[in-house]
Amino acid sequence: MTDEREITLTVNGTEHTIEVEPRRLLVHAIREDLDMTGTHIGCDTGNCGACTVLKDGEPIKSCLMFAAQADGAEILTVEGMEDLPEADDLHPLQEGFREEHGLQCGYCTPGMLMAGKALLDEHPDPDEETIRDAISGNLCRCTGYQNIVRSIEYAADELENRTAADGGAVAVDGASESEGPASPEGGHAAPEFGGDADTFCGREDCCGGPDGADPFDRDALLDDAADADGPDNADGTSDADADTDATDRGDTV
Amino acid sequence: MKSAPFEHHEPDTVDEAVSLLESLDDPTILAGGQSLVPMLRFRLANPDVVVDINGIDSLDYLREEDGSLRLGALARHADVEDSALIDETYGSFADVAPLVADPQIRNRGTVVGSVAQADPKGDWGSILLAHEGEVIATGPDGDRAIPADEFFLLPYDTTLGEQELITEIRVPVPGPNEGSAYHKLKRKTGDYAMAGVGARLVFDDDGVIESAGIGMTAVDITNARATDAEEHLEGERPDPDLFAKAGELAAEQSNPESDEHGGADYKERMVDVLTQRALSDAAERAGTVTVQRRVTQ
Repeated sequence: MTDEREITLTVNGTEHTIEVEPRRLLVHAIREDLDMTGTHIGCDTGNCGACTVLKDGEPIKSCLMFAAQADGAEILTVEGMEDLPEADDLHPLQEGFREEHGLQCGYCTPGMLMAGKALLDEHPDPDEETIRDAISGNLCRCTGYQNIVRSIEYAADELENRTAADGGAVAVDGASESEGPASPEGGHAAPEFGGDADTFCGREDCCGGPDGADPFDRDALLDDAADADGPDNADGTSDADADTDATDRGDTV
Repeated sequence: MKSAPFEHHEPDTVDEAVSLLESLDDPTILAGGQSLVPMLRFRLANPDVVVDINGIDSLDYLREEDGSLRLGALARHADVEDSALIDETYGSFADVAPLVADPQIRNRGTVVGSVAQADPKGDWGSILLAHEGEVIATGPDGDRAIPADEFFLLPYDTTLGEQELITEIRVPVPGPNEGSAYHKLKRKTGDYAMAGVGARLVFDDDGVIESAGIGMTAVDITNARATDAEEHLEGERPDPDLFAKAGELAAEQSNPESDEHGGADYKERMVDVLTQRALSDAAERAGTVTVQRRVTQ
């Protein structure tokens, strides 16, 4: 029975019948047989989570499962996100990753989105710890995770707002108003701060505050690089100080 | 890297699986696959024949029955993590489940598979030892119960017969004066333990320790019991000095190897610390006493 056998995978609502060898991994079936390359292979060892898909609603690593084992299963990949009922043009999670800068290189993003989707299906209003637990099987080497957490918080708020707007199948949780992390109003580019909306996102620990230097101002960075004292912010602190609370994030994820 | 080609068999029943194990040449059993699939892909394992038991629905359970907690071969780590029964009654199991690998792996990986894999860094073996549990092996001649103490031989090697399938592990349902806990040191989420200790304490009605079980992870060639510490605890009343001595004895009995994550001396010291923490939690959960920890959290 090393021969190929016929299996049926329902991927993003569409049924596919393919022939696979027993040793064919689910991730290879998705990427190579079905040509859906949104599901990534990062580490190839089951560590990184870039290959995360939902199998019958549960997040799994598709590089740690043979395709034949998913015969008859419903698979959701990143390509299916924008067609879900809760999606507009994009799924709220995808919107969140765009709005909150939840990616840099983007390699881990499909896996992060699927882990986020599984989380929000189970916990529509997760706290930060729950979010960090849910993405603990997904490695990101760019962002330091902060903005990924915010992106998922954004999506949770967005989904709650849409549910409320749709007539409230789920009641708005009063506690989330006071304790909830980032409401959309508290998110990026908040013009009510009176600062420069293009450079200040509304978070003290992110862009250096309304008077802080724009961290993405290339000319200023080049000037700073020429300055032996390193970059100085208007308030007399260096950017290194502002970053101290980011250093412990790696070991929670 | 791809696995070498193999034959894939998918029995629907335990009987069918056992007759496959009997008739096939050196088959490998595939359950959750979260250790086996990487081993196949790196070609550390090259079986010609794989018997995939995921289709045997009768093995998918976690329940109390006849005085034992029983986990079928398809109970996933996530099933333990999500179980209200585990939360209420089995402190050590509730401690371990969320510390195994990561959420995706816990959705697929099985507790029995982890025990069968017999990686000395696996957590569940220590729990089975601390609880004096049993491994139920089903073969051509029916079921046989292997005491946890007699199960682990060497890294990745056990006393399971070639034609046997582990269908269940079981541990006794705890009595009213019993508590258990597990503490694990790991570098980051997803890693195996650098060291781990599971403890179970049973008290009599006067608050004296009637029986103690301590299992250690990643500090010997198999999961191992800290028998010297257990003996030292039995017949005594819990207090910080007693637990400190037990930690010391467990550390002495452990046999860790130095590696890139820490030296043997350091790991022994961690066994000492983790033992004291696990004992302290177990005593507290037994409901009899609160023992002040000597070591800070």
